[in-house]
Amino acid sequence: MQLTSLGLVRGIIGYFVGLVIGMAVVVISRLALGMSAWDQEAGWVGGIIFAMIGFMWAVGSLTDWFKWTRGVETPFHHGPPVGKPAWTRYFSVDYNHKVIGIQYGVTGFLLLILGGSFALVFRAELADSGISFLQPGTYNTFLSMHAWVALASILLGVGGMANYLVPLMIGAEDMAFPRLNAFAYWINVPAIITLMISMLFGWDSGWTAYPPLSLRGPVGYQMVFWAIFGIGLSSILGSLNLIVTMLTMRPKGMTLFRMPIFCWAIFATSIIQLTATQLIGLAFLMLSFERSLGMPFFNPLYNALGENIGGQPLLFQHLFWFYSHPAVYVFVLPGLGVISELLPVFARKPLFGYRWIALSSLAIALVGFLVWGHHMFTSGYGEYLRVVFMISTLLVAVPTGVKFFSWLGTLWGGRLTFPTPMLFTLGAISVFLIGGLSGPILATAATDLFLHDSYFVVGHFHATIFGGFVFPFFAAIYYWYPKITGRMYNETLGKIHFWLMTPGFWVMSLAQMTAGTMGMRRRIADYDPALGVEPVHLLITIAGFVIAFSILLMIYNLFTSAEIGALAGNNPWRSRSPEWQIPSPVPEHSYARPITVVGEPYDYGLAGSTYVAMAGAGDD
Amino acid sequence: MLKLPQSSTDRKHFVIVGALVFIATIALGFFLLAILPVKAQHSVQAEPIRWLFQLHVWLIAFLFALVVVFMLYALIVFRKRKDDDSEGEHFEGNATLEVIWTVIPLILVIVFSFIGFQTLRDVTRGGDEVQVEAVGFQWAWTFNYPNGVVSQEMVLPVNKPALISLRATDVVHSFWVVEWGPKQDLVPGMTTHLHITPTKVGEFQIVCAELCGLSHWNMVAKVRVVPEDEYIAWMNQKLAEQNIQMASR
Repeated sequence: MQLTSLGLVRGIIGYFVGLVIGMAVVVISRLALGMSAWDQEAGWVGGIIFAMIGFMWAVGSLTDWFKWTRGVETPFHHGPPVGKPAWTRYFSVDYNHKVIGIQYGVTGFLLLILGGSFALVFRAELADSGISFLQPGTYNTFLSMHAWVALASILLGVGGMANYLVPLMIGAEDMAFPRLNAFAYWINVPAIITLMISMLFGWDSGWTAYPPLSLRGPVGYQMVFWAIFGIGLSSILGSLNLIVTMLTMRPKGMTLFRMPIFCWAIFATSIIQLTATQLIGLAFLMLSFERSLGMPFFNPLYNALGENIGGQPLLFQHLFWFYSHPAVYVFVLPGLGVISELLPVFARKPLFGYRWIALSSLAIALVGFLVWGHHMFTSGYGEYLRVVFMISTLLVAVPTGVKFFSWLGTLWGGRLTFPTPMLFTLGAISVFLIGGLSGPILATAATDLFLHDSYFVVGHFHATIFGGFVFPFFAAIYYWYPKITGRMYNETLGKIHFWLMTPGFWVMSLAQMTAGTMGMRRRIADYDPALGVEPVHLLITIAGFVIAFSILLMIYNLFTSAEIGALAGNNPWRSRSPEWQIPSPVPEHSYARPITVVGEPYDYGLAGSTYVAMAGAGDD
Repeated sequence: MLKLPQSSTDRKHFVIVGALVFIATIALGFFLLAILPVKAQHSVQAEPIRWLFQLHVWLIAFLFALVVVFMLYALIVFRKRKDDDSEGEHFEGNATLEVIWTVIPLILVIVFSFIGFQTLRDVTRGGDEVQVEAVGFQWAWTFNYPNGVVSQEMVLPVNKPALISLRATDVVHSFWVVEWGPKQDLVPGMTTHLHITPTKVGEFQIVCAELCGLSHWNMVAKVRVVPEDEYIAWMNQKLAEQNIQMASR
């Protein structure tokens, strides 16, 4: 088998060919216009745009659409590629949503490890005061990369869960637009390559990329802007696909309020992604254009009279947070959906207040659009705005509280068992609770003026994102692993993973908050030991490494169990959800016949009730 | 040995959990106050911040205890026993409960909005008996006084309301003295303000709290809070030094 028969390899070649062509186009244009041949800003932007297109073309994601323009039929090919090993389909364009879901999930997991590794590097540096091995410039690059790589990993992880599970849960053959689905996954890959290239040049603003700093730094910024634009494009197209799929492809009998609750979470998430992502794409393009074309959007410029004829730095902060706050709910709503999905299975009880939980996801998504200004309490915008955003932000607590209390109602009176997925679900609740409850203290502007940009904020949002995404993501991996591979993971290793990671995270989170109240600033390469935070930092670093080690155990577990794990059977969790009524691993065509919904999704304990009727089951 | 009731809706469960929540709230509240030492305590503006922070801590302690105690209690009491293959009790929800736990948090939000508004007013107000302009640039600070004195350190008289005007010449910075409490960004193209009334004599550090590039971590300056007569003496000495410098040019 030739290496170039893998789409990924062809795509990477296409990327670099495109890069060279793009740079050449810029150089030739500049020479034609009588300018100096090489300008690194313009050269790299031209190169990156062509490189991204080159990748998508070479990987084969555009092939079918090109054929359509010529009137060529493009029938679906189902199953692994002909004449190649089955695993190769995961490295090439494939239209099956289960393959794309795995591609998303695995890429997201790899990025999670990479982003976490960046953190380990600077956590090692911060274990004691004084600069030991990481110079401030490199430190800034690492902390900035940690953020965007981790955020990309979350977006891909969410994409993985949504793509794999939503069509299965609603009994659909595939997503509404399979080719668009593949495109939305693959555009992430050249974007991530671009993000990695930025490290060669460095950039130092953190993920927020506030101008004017981001207008002054090295050319690495341009790569970040375009990489995030690519990942954002993926979010927009992927969420569009999911919304259409859920609205049009549900089976007979599945009303919106009979969807598995995870679908509601993805529905709310997709609304945010479809509408808010435009803003960060726009904001980063404006930064790119200001750098390469000199368009004065954000940097103030003064004429001879001292009047500002340039831009306004705060405008960027508004545009940035108008996406980046709702984005937090993109990260956590699917995770909260996983919690709501798993609790009834392991409690053997109906989900308490299904409709309330479903609508609270929508409520969080909508309120989430009104709160961006709480990231800007210290920014110098009008003082009255602080009050407005304080109130809107506190309101988020109401629908979030509904979820917590409904989860308690679900547990109450159940017959609880505690395999690894359930443990991670409960761990998620405890960690998200730490993140959630440390929110209002940052929402009331007065206390935020003290805590803003301190380690308290670091503790708050890591708890939110671990509780809202990482823990539920791990719960989901353990839970659906038998459905994906057909085999069970190792329960003992899974439990060790949980009992290392969860206390480790509690310690890390609280220690970060402690450091914050003691006056530790965010994003500093070194700190003053006079603050007294050195022991706290050592604790954070140790906890961080414990978490990392536990994740290594998980990886080992997932790899070995795929070979030696016990056969799982169709439904090891005795779930009512449709994906558990079909064989594990899921066949190429998930459902041999269309399914019909005949009951409520979570009626555990109601004798004689079922959720789905599998038409023609048994005659294959 | 306490005999627990069979039905999950028996009042006995809730009495036990209520008592445990109460105990856990007290314990957790003191624990959190101990591990979250708010270092802002040496200005008039820091007081309301500390007060509101502690109020939050008690609310957090209560809500955390409420959820976690209920959860742990359920995990222990409602765990599946060996040889029990029955399903859980069948109830799908309770609209009254849902309304209660929507409305009570809503009332809390309104109360905290009001408290938050008042505290914010207290933190952001102050006089301008002393005025100083702090200019931030990559990666240092300069301080300009209205009488023309320029200094590399900030000197303020104790217990006098000061109005600090903030200006950045290159990128966004943020002015923060941990012991004073509030911070304020410096934004190129506009002037921002911070009211501080320092209440303790001593030397503190002004740090930049907004990532501003390579040496952001080291963008620090000294602030000295001194008795008023010392402040006047320092000011006069500075004036004299600067006049000599002007004359010798």
